[in-house]
Amino acid sequence: MIVASSKPFQEIKQMLAGFKKVCVLGCGSCVTICHTGGEKQVTELAAQLRLSAQLEGRQLEVIEDSTLRQCEWEFIDDIKEVIKDCDAVLSIACGVGVQYMAEKFPKTRMFPGLNTTFMGGPTEQGVFWERCAGCGNCILATTGGLCPVSRCAKGLMNGPCGGSQKGKCEVSQETPCVWNQIYDQLDTQQLLATMETIVPPKDWTTGMENHPRKMVLEHLVMKK
Amino acid sequence: MQINHPQSKSYVNEEAPCILACPIRQDARDYVQLIARGRFDEAFQVVRERNSLPSACGRICTHPCETKCRRNSTDKPVAIAWLKRFLGDNYSKEQKNPSAGKYSEKIAIIGAGPAGLAAANDLALLGYPCAIFESSPTPGGMIRMGVPAYRLPRDVIDRDVEFIKKLGVEIKYNTTLGVDFTFESLKKEGYAAVFIAVGLQDSRTLNIEGAQLEGVLKGIAFLHEVNTTGKAKIGKNVLVIGGGAVAMDCARTALRLKPEKVSVACLESRKEMPTTDFEIEEAVHEGTILHNSVGPKRIVGRDGKVTGLEILKVKYVFDEQKRFNPAFYEGSESVLEADTIIMAIGQASNLTFLKGQENIKVTRGGTIIANPQTFNVDVPGIYAGGDIVLGRGTMTESMAHGKKVAIAIHNTLRGVTVKDEKWIDKPAVPDIETAKIGLIKKEEKVEMPVMASEHRLNTFDEVELGFTLEAAVKEAQRCMNCGAGAIVDDNLCVGCVTCVRVCPFDVPSIKRGSTTAYIDGDCQSCGLCIVECPAKAITFKTPYEDRGKDALEAVFKDKHIRGIKPLVINFYCQYGAYNEGSQANTAELLVFHYRRVGVLGLGKVDPSLYLRAFELGAHSVLVTACKDSTCHFCKEQEWIEKRAKYTTQLLAGVGIDARRFQTHFVSSQNGKEIIEIAFKMVEDVRDIV
Repeated sequence: MIVASSKPFQEIKQMLAGFKKVCVLGCGSCVTICHTGGEKQVTELAAQLRLSAQLEGRQLEVIEDSTLRQCEWEFIDDIKEVIKDCDAVLSIACGVGVQYMAEKFPKTRMFPGLNTTFMGGPTEQGVFWERCAGCGNCILATTGGLCPVSRCAKGLMNGPCGGSQKGKCEVSQETPCVWNQIYDQLDTQQLLATMETIVPPKDWTTGMENHPRKMVLEHLVMKK
Repeated sequence: MQINHPQSKSYVNEEAPCILACPIRQDARDYVQLIARGRFDEAFQVVRERNSLPSACGRICTHPCETKCRRNSTDKPVAIAWLKRFLGDNYSKEQKNPSAGKYSEKIAIIGAGPAGLAAANDLALLGYPCAIFESSPTPGGMIRMGVPAYRLPRDVIDRDVEFIKKLGVEIKYNTTLGVDFTFESLKKEGYAAVFIAVGLQDSRTLNIEGAQLEGVLKGIAFLHEVNTTGKAKIGKNVLVIGGGAVAMDCARTALRLKPEKVSVACLESRKEMPTTDFEIEEAVHEGTILHNSVGPKRIVGRDGKVTGLEILKVKYVFDEQKRFNPAFYEGSESVLEADTIIMAIGQASNLTFLKGQENIKVTRGGTIIANPQTFNVDVPGIYAGGDIVLGRGTMTESMAHGKKVAIAIHNTLRGVTVKDEKWIDKPAVPDIETAKIGLIKKEEKVEMPVMASEHRLNTFDEVELGFTLEAAVKEAQRCMNCGAGAIVDDNLCVGCVTCVRVCPFDVPSIKRGSTTAYIDGDCQSCGLCIVECPAKAITFKTPYEDRGKDALEAVFKDKHIRGIKPLVINFYCQYGAYNEGSQANTAELLVFHYRRVGVLGLGKVDPSLYLRAFELGAHSVLVTACKDSTCHFCKEQEWIEKRAKYTTQLLAGVGIDARRFQTHFVSSQNGKEIIEIAFKMVEDVRDIV
C-alpha cells in the first residue's frame, strides 16, 4: 500500500489562507489504512481548520467528505456536487488521488494534505516501514524475499557493506541491515551459496529513471 | 430498543440472554445500561413500556434474567430485578395514554392479579375501555394475598396499580364472578370480550391420615389471613410442608408470629427445591430449620390435635424420565414433632364460577384449557390466562399471558394481525469464550442493604431496604451490554485490522474469506475500536451511547454559558462517578466554571470531540479518567494518555496552549482530588484565555 504522512498543520493553513469554503476530502483506501487520510482524519482536520479560523476571527466553512478511492474517475464523479461551491479542496489522498482530483475538476483549486512517502505496510499498530521502491525489475527471487533496493540505505546489490553493525544499519541504529536479514533468510533456506554470486549492476531504466511510466493491458483496452 | 445495525452482511441479530429469559421480554439490558449512565427517568420508561407492575416485579420476580446473565461467567449476575425496584421506587411516573377512548368495545377482566392487570394495562394503551372485576377489596391478586408484606409492601402494589388505573382502567372490587355477575350479565352489559384471570385461589392438600386434625392449615389460606389481618392462630412448633416459594413465605410469615420453632419439610434435596436460593437462604437466616428429602406419610395427633408429622426418607423425587414420581425408603419412618402443620405443596383452582359454562374445558388438574397462541377458550369472546391456565406460574409468566391476551383481543376485535416484535425468538448472545473470561474485570456485586436480623421478626416491614442511587449505578455498571456493543459496517470497513489490534478483549476478527472485521457478542463496549477505526466504520448498536456528543452540545444550549470565563468542560468517566461516600462536588468555583460531560468510559471519546468543545466556546477542556487500577475496561489509561498527547498536538497546530487541555487520572470523579485539579486548572488558564 501507499503510505503517506500528514503535512504540518501550519503548511496546510498557509495553503488554504484566504479561502472561505473548503472541502476536506478523504480517501478510503491506502491512506485510511495508514491513519492519515481516512474519514477519521477528515473529521479531525476539519475541526482543526474551523477552530483555527474561529480563533483568528476568519470566516471559514469546511465541508467534510470522503470517497472509496480518489484514484478512480468513477469514484470521484459524485464529488462534483459536494465541492461545487467550494473555493478549494484539501485532498488527503496520496499524490495520485490529488492529481486525479485536479484533472477531474480543473477549475477548483486542489491542495495536498499529505506527503506521500513510500510503498510499505504496518509492521505493528501505528508503525509503517517502506518495503518496495517500484524499481520495475523485481529481484526478490534471489534475495530471500527481502528487498535491498528499498530497504538498504545504499541500495546495494551485493551486500552487506562494512557499515552493517550487529544486524543494524550504520545510517540509523533503528534500521535493520537488510543484507544481514537476507543472509539469515538464505541460511534458513540453505541457500547461502547464492550470496557468492556477484550481481551485476542493476538496470535502472525500468524505474524512477524513466518517468512517467505507463502500463497498458491490451486485452482490456476498449475502443473509444 | 431499536438496535442500530448498519449495513453488515455478517450481522447476527443476537439478543441479550437476560431479555430472552424474561417471560414479558423486559428490556433488562437497556434499563440497566441507562441506570449506569445516570439516565433514570428514561430507564423507568423503558421498564414501564413492557411492565405494568415495575415496583412489585422488582421485588418478587424470580428473575430468570439474572440466571441467564452473562456476568455469571465472570463473577456474579447483575442485580437486574433490584435495579428495577430502584427505578420503580424512585422514578415512577404517570404514563400518558394517547390512545384513551380510541375504541368503544368494552373489555371485562376477571381478577386484578398480575395477568389481569397486565392485560388491562395493555388494552387501555391500545385504546379499549377496561373494567377489572375483583372479588377481594384490594388489587394484586396472589401477589397481595399470598406474598408477605415483608417481601412486597402493600403501598408498592397500590402505587403500580394506581398508574394502571390512570390509563383509564376501572377496578370493581368485591365483585365475584358467579355470585355478583355472570358471563351472561357481562354480555348484556355490552362487554365485547372477557378475560378470565382468576388465578389459583386454593391450596392443594395432602390426602393423608390426620389431614383433618386441628392445627393443620392450608398455606394460601394462612398467608391470606396474615396478609389481611396481620395475625393467625398457630402453635409453638410450626412445620411447613413444601419446598417452593409459598412454603418459604409460610415459614417466614410464621416466624414473625413468634412461635418457638419453625421448620420446613420437603421431598426435594436442598438443590432441587423449586424456588430461588435467595428465598431459601433468607428463610434459613431468619431461623427456619430445613428438613430436606423427606416425604409425609401421615399426620399424627392426640385428642384431635396435631402432634407431629410422620415422615419417610426420599429415595428420589424425579424418575428416570424426569417426571415427578417420588419414591421412599421403606421402614425409614420417623416423626417430626409439631403442633401446627401448614401445607404449602401447591395451589389449586376454584372453578365454581364455571357452572353452566360447560363449553369452557378444564384439565384434570383443574386448570382452564386455552389456545396457547390466542388464549381463547373455545367460546368466542372469552379468553383465559395466568395461573388458572398455567397451573403453577410465576408473576411474570402471568403478566406475559396478560400481555398476549391484550394483543389477541385487539386482533380479534379489529380483524388485524398485530404482533409484538419482542416475542419473536432470536438466538441468544452465546456464553463468553473461556479464553476471554480472564480479560474481563471482575466487578464486586453490590449487596442489598437489609433490615438487621434482630428487628426482622418483630415486624412485617420490608426486609430489603433498596439501593441508594450510588449503589444502583455501581451495580448497573457491572452490566456488559450484551448484544448491543460495537458493530462494523461492511460498506465502510477497509480491513485495516486496527480494531483487531486495539481491542483489549480480543473480540474483533477478520475471518478467512472476508475482507472486513467482525465483532461478536463478547464485545464489552469500551469503544476503543470505534475511536481508532480510521474509516469510522464501527458504531455502537445501542442508541443509548453517543460517546459524549449530545451531552456536549446540550451544554452549549444554555444561553448563559457565554458569560462564564473561563468556561471549562470536564469530560469524566462515569464508571468513577458514583462511588459511595464520595465528596459532593459543590465547590462554588467549580459549579460556576465547570460543565461536566460524563461518558461511560473515556476510551470511547474521539479526540475531535475535544476540539469540538473549543469550537463551541469552551476556554479549556479537562479530561478526568480513571486509573488503570480501577478502570472497568482494565487498561484504557494507555490509550487515554496517547490521545491526550495527540489532541495536544492538534490543538498546538491551531495555537491553543497546552495548559488549556489537561488530562488527569483520578481515583474518584467526585472526590477531593478532582476538586483540587479543577481549581488549579481554573487558575492555570484564567490569564491566558
